[in-house]
Amino acid sequence: MHRHHLFRALICSTAAISIAFAQPPGVGQPPGPPPAPRAAAPIDVTGYWVSLVTEDWRSRMTVPPKGDAESVPLNPEGRKAAQAWDPAKDEAAGEQCKAFGAAGIVRRPGRMHITWQDDNALKVEYDAGTQTRIFHFGAPTGNGGDWQGVSVANWDIPGTIMTRGGFGLGANGGANRGGALKVVTTKMKAGYLRINGIPYSDNVVITEYYDRFDIPNGDSLLLVTTEVTDPMYLTAPFWTSTHFKQQHDAAGWNPTPCAAR
Amino acid sequence: MRSTSKKLSVTLMAFGIAIAMRTTMVGQAGPAPQEPRPSPAIDLSGYWSPAVNEDGLERGAGSELGDYAGFAVNEAGRLWALSYDPSRLTLKHHQCDGYVAPYQMRAIGNFRIWEDRDPHTVQLIAIHIWAQTTEGHRTIWMDGRPHPPAWAPHTYQGFSTGRFVGDALMVNTDHLKQGWLRRNGLPESDQATMVEFIVRHGDHLVDTTVVNDPVFLTEPEVRSNDFFRQPADHGAWLYACDDGEQIIGRPPDSVPNYSFGAQPFAKEYSRKYKIPLLSGIAGAPSIYPEFETKLKAATDADALPLLKPAPGPSPISRAIDPEPSDGEIHVWPVSGNVYMLVGDGGNIVVETGDQGPLVVDSGSGQLTGKIIKAIHKLSDKPIQFIVNTSYLPDRTGGNVKLRASGHDPSLVGSFFSGQFRDAGVGATIMAQQNTETHMVEAKLPADGYPTDTFLEDRRRKYHNGNDVEIFHEPHAITDGDSIVQFRQADVIVAGDIFNTTQFPFIDIKDGGSVQGEIKALNDILNRTVFQHEGQGGTMVVPGHGYLADEHEVVEYRDMMVIIRDRVRAMIKDGATLDQVKAARVTADYDTRYGANRGPWTTDMFVEAVYSSLRNPEK
Repeated sequence: MHRHHLFRALICSTAAISIAFAQPPGVGQPPGPPPAPRAAAPIDVTGYWVSLVTEDWRSRMTVPPKGDAESVPLNPEGRKAAQAWDPAKDEAAGEQCKAFGAAGIVRRPGRMHITWQDDNALKVEYDAGTQTRIFHFGAPTGNGGDWQGVSVANWDIPGTIMTRGGFGLGANGGANRGGALKVVTTKMKAGYLRINGIPYSDNVVITEYYDRFDIPNGDSLLLVTTEVTDPMYLTAPFWTSTHFKQQHDAAGWNPTPCAAR
Repeated sequence: MRSTSKKLSVTLMAFGIAIAMRTTMVGQAGPAPQEPRPSPAIDLSGYWSPAVNEDGLERGAGSELGDYAGFAVNEAGRLWALSYDPSRLTLKHHQCDGYVAPYQMRAIGNFRIWEDRDPHTVQLIAIHIWAQTTEGHRTIWMDGRPHPPAWAPHTYQGFSTGRFVGDALMVNTDHLKQGWLRRNGLPESDQATMVEFIVRHGDHLVDTTVVNDPVFLTEPEVRSNDFFRQPADHGAWLYACDDGEQIIGRPPDSVPNYSFGAQPFAKEYSRKYKIPLLSGIAGAPSIYPEFETKLKAATDADALPLLKPAPGPSPISRAIDPEPSDGEIHVWPVSGNVYMLVGDGGNIVVETGDQGPLVVDSGSGQLTGKIIKAIHKLSDKPIQFIVNTSYLPDRTGGNVKLRASGHDPSLVGSFFSGQFRDAGVGATIMAQQNTETHMVEAKLPADGYPTDTFLEDRRRKYHNGNDVEIFHEPHAITDGDSIVQFRQADVIVAGDIFNTTQFPFIDIKDGGSVQGEIKALNDILNRTVFQHEGQGGTMVVPGHGYLADEHEVVEYRDMMVIIRDRVRAMIKDGATLDQVKAARVTADYDTRYGANRGPWTTDMFVEAVYSSLRNPEK
């Protein structure tokens, strides 16, 4: 019998705790404005970051032969487009930046400079090709149609414990779990995943996660995990993870124009 | 009892309501401050497959020889890779080599990840990662346990501890074996350590690895590996490796390798892709964006010097010293009833049981009192036997005191006790006869001389439940060396024939030789059996350094053969000793074993190799 008492007490006490945690702070009071994305940032991604080209080296540091699409899940249409790569034609058309669009720019050897444009948008500048992307938190702005398209950002706080109706045993409810910057980019001009004409279409969707790691030796790394989805040219999402090391200053920052080869 | 439970129930309810009220009140006062809490776990459990959208050739069929681009390798690493001949994998002792953890995570193949939790407290004890390729099993300890000491064995997967940092699992790994940074010969040394950050975004897992290798890298190597989650067991696993003969009749001292500058494929890579020769061998500069511009102007003349050792002095070892110098004796359990004692110069081995301890080697003699105390903690019986693997001071320095502390009851009441008053007084010291001869020549204390010597190849004894075999290895370090094998415990004591701290101390004047050293290392390998994927099983205690298994002996044997081949080729071409030294024939091993001071320098080792090959023993 006494076990039943104990169990009821445990349920009641847990329910009270769970309900309290399930409610947002200030229930019954006018809700305060949520903190701006800049203030709510779980990680600091700002600063100068230099790419460490330790993967896919040949396709990033050199211009691979036409049709060399090692590791890229191209479909027949994609392979056909890759075989049609003509850098002279791109240059003549003033489209030297096709490999510097949002789906390819992160893989170019170079440096990124990330700053807050305002409390709701991050500005990411690349010295390779002298490109700029704006990551907007909240509703997207702009119509795209250029190399960098439209990017919508949010803070990705992983693993909020799911409960049923706010009544769960031990629900964690979003403790301090770190987080990542998630960016979804659409509405780009068609371009190249790689400088040798490996294509993406203007219907491509790019989902990126920016994670920051502080290494015990004092260095900080920024990991950019990229998923490129493009049913027109790819048989499956194309995943890469690109890493950058933080610099304390602008050393080496060297904006260069786009080059088609 | 019933009253107690009611009180407890009321207390629990009150506690719950109090917390609920507190939470609400905090809310009324404004936004709750973010209190730092321990970050809870991300769940990595399940079946994962690699997304090989990066470096598909490297991770699939394998990179071309000569393609070391994007790696911050130093001269030693570059030359090690350029000397590598993939035919080395046909050698029996390399066929089942595992992948070291950093490469394991990079390799193609499926993974299974699961947790160990304490059944009583539900606390996370460990996260396990099982890899399809080479059946690598990583254990990431999450319970805060310390890493093992420097003299503990190394494994392919190393020793890992983890903690959650933000939304990542951060893992520290050390005690790795030597393996690949890339499996076209680019080495990662046994001194490498790794920091990892594992994050999960939905069903996309990314493992970022940061490898520090003071032996072969000039800066940390960062790579990131992508995995996607499988809904169920993909059922695509491999099976344990068995080795076998690949080439019948090959001499046992053959290790496929290329002389410096003679690697025929380094240029093939650059020509195949029409990129400068410098591309694959530039080291750290190749990682950074500026290299893209530099490469456009690069010529073969920039790269050719990198195919050979640079002229000048040899670097010294960058390996940590695995031997403690705190004035204490440390005991490490090897296997069964066999223990390794470290701290007094050379490693000492103790076998215990219902008979008196059998001790292999007695150290330098500086800490013999503490050694005796340590042995007494392992056994309440006096030391019965001491075996010396050679006469050298780090093998016999403690003989006198160790012997005096012991007692050999097998002689008491025997025929001998009627003939010799001191029969059974003190431990019996066993060694090959030449060891005693050298001790006499060196005028070492007579009370430490072997009392039971042998002349032939093998001395055997059943003791403490082990078949104990002592094998003479003529002309290795000296002409009186022995290795000792404990069959049931599955342990081999190598003496100074094998160590993990320096080039082998080949004592030419006392009968040592390069060929004898190689033969002795092969004799050890002929008696080892690995447990799984080229590691474990028979443990090998080195004269100096950390407890090893056959993999470390194989790498050491390979080194000896490769350096011998280089010197022998130069002698054949008429090179003098000075020319051999100037050619830096040890360049790919200097950052691991090199020394320019102390009792055994790189120059002394090269002189010994040269002298041994110029004047081979009859």
